[in-house]
Amino acid sequence: MRNLIAFLLRYQGVMLFVLLEVVSLYFFLTNSSYQRAAFFNSANAYMGVLLARRTQVTDYFRLAELNQQLQADNAQLRRQLYPPDFTHREADSLPVGRDTLGRVVYRHLHPATPQVLTPQGQGLLAQNAKFKTQPSLRPDTLLLGSSKQATLPLVPARVINNSLREVDNYLTLNVGSADGVQPDRGVISAAGVVGKVQAVSAHYSRVASMLHSKLQVAAQIKRDGTIGSVGWPEGSDFSHAMLDYIPRQNKLVVGDSVVTSGYNSVFPAGVFIGTVESFTTEPNKNFSTVKLRLGVDFSRLTYVYVVPTPPRAERDSLEEHTGELSAPVKAAQAQAAKAKKP
Amino acid sequence: MSIVASIGTQLLRFALYVGLYVLLFDNSSVVLFGLGWNFFYLGFLLFLPINTPISLQLLLGFALGFTVDIAHDTGGLHATAAVLLAYLRPWVLRLLTPRDGYDAQDTVNVHQMGWQWFLVYLSLLVTVHHLAFFFLELGSLQHPLVTLGRVGVSILYTSVVMLIVQLLFFPVRRGRG
Repeated sequence: MRNLIAFLLRYQGVMLFVLLEVVSLYFFLTNSSYQRAAFFNSANAYMGVLLARRTQVTDYFRLAELNQQLQADNAQLRRQLYPPDFTHREADSLPVGRDTLGRVVYRHLHPATPQVLTPQGQGLLAQNAKFKTQPSLRPDTLLLGSSKQATLPLVPARVINNSLREVDNYLTLNVGSADGVQPDRGVISAAGVVGKVQAVSAHYSRVASMLHSKLQVAAQIKRDGTIGSVGWPEGSDFSHAMLDYIPRQNKLVVGDSVVTSGYNSVFPAGVFIGTVESFTTEPNKNFSTVKLRLGVDFSRLTYVYVVPTPPRAERDSLEEHTGELSAPVKAAQAQAAKAKKP
Repeated sequence: MSIVASIGTQLLRFALYVGLYVLLFDNSSVVLFGLGWNFFYLGFLLFLPINTPISLQLLLGFALGFTVDIAHDTGGLHATAAVLLAYLRPWVLRLLTPRDGYDAQDTVNVHQMGWQWFLVYLSLLVTVHHLAFFFLELGSLQHPLVTLGRVGVSILYTSVVMLIVQLLFFPVRRGRG
């Protein structure tokens, strides 16, 4: 017995060291899982209050900048409130189609001559005509995504803690379950997508920002609707992200806007993410490597909005039960489904 | 110094180092070359009395790291690296023992122990801590050059800040602090 105690005393340092390292590593490795108890993060009541106080103090020194941001935000909203008179005016002539060379096709004057075409060609021609005579075949994605959410207000929130240069970055917001925030809600700002709520306490919430290596946002290129997925490769800087799963045959243009596709129910469709800054296609890869410049400047993020999500659990559980697919397969399938649609 | 007084002093130091780190040296605002940041709070561990028992050091290291982890949402990352530093500190101190051993009054103080002793002590511990921290954070050896760059810049930054703390706040004369 005495030997045992002597042994324990002699090696107390090593044993305690191993024990504490195991505990710390356990906390570290389980950090990004959602099941984690909500207490040990910056959204817990004590740390939340502390960080909120700090923000109150530092805000004082940034009042001018904050006001400018809010004013710009306001101006944009007001523009939507008072649209110019001619916004809803429609063209007073019949819509005209154009052929592949850009010349106007007077199809309403000279109906297509079906007898010279093969049945397949006829089908294509009919399809083309349908495309060309309907000026906006693609529905307005903004309205489509928000039709159910129009009645649900965005929850405005203030960022009280923010990290930029770690591998997985988080924000802390000053709203919590008392304000109706739930885990897995999307967070956006005036400039674009910010992140996704991970844990909430009564008055604070922790958000995995776009700068989190495990966060993927379903996205599409606004110009042609090509879908992909935006992620942040660990260790890159806070103003850029990567757009993955764009098939290499799809045409890309530097400066293309990339918006959310609404395929995962966290964000409504059509929220701005960023613009294409550069892209490369390599001969041995199926997908282009696309670098995005993020719309949100995470280094000066102040006011954000938590997106309320209508009950979408049904859709998610349906999609999950029909098989968990890996992201590229999912993207490719969605692409195929999109192509099939007339 | 009585035990109560020394515990009080250490608690105050803990609060000061952690408080300043969390409230002021937020790693998104005070960054050197856009790469590395300083680990100001390590000063609490580095400048503990030389004869602190190892178990107490380890527990303090864990408490320190975990507090910072909660503020920065890093789970147990800071704690892991801080416990490693707390474990290695007695070894480094033993390695650097002066020829006639440590005096009872000796503290980790650049004025008392000399520049050479202090710089070796600081750079050894800070290097090990930062290497562990940044590679653990990445969870892989994928971007070795960028990570080594961050480690290097952060070592420089932390060491300079620790030196400044020493020169500003540590007594020049022996035996007063």
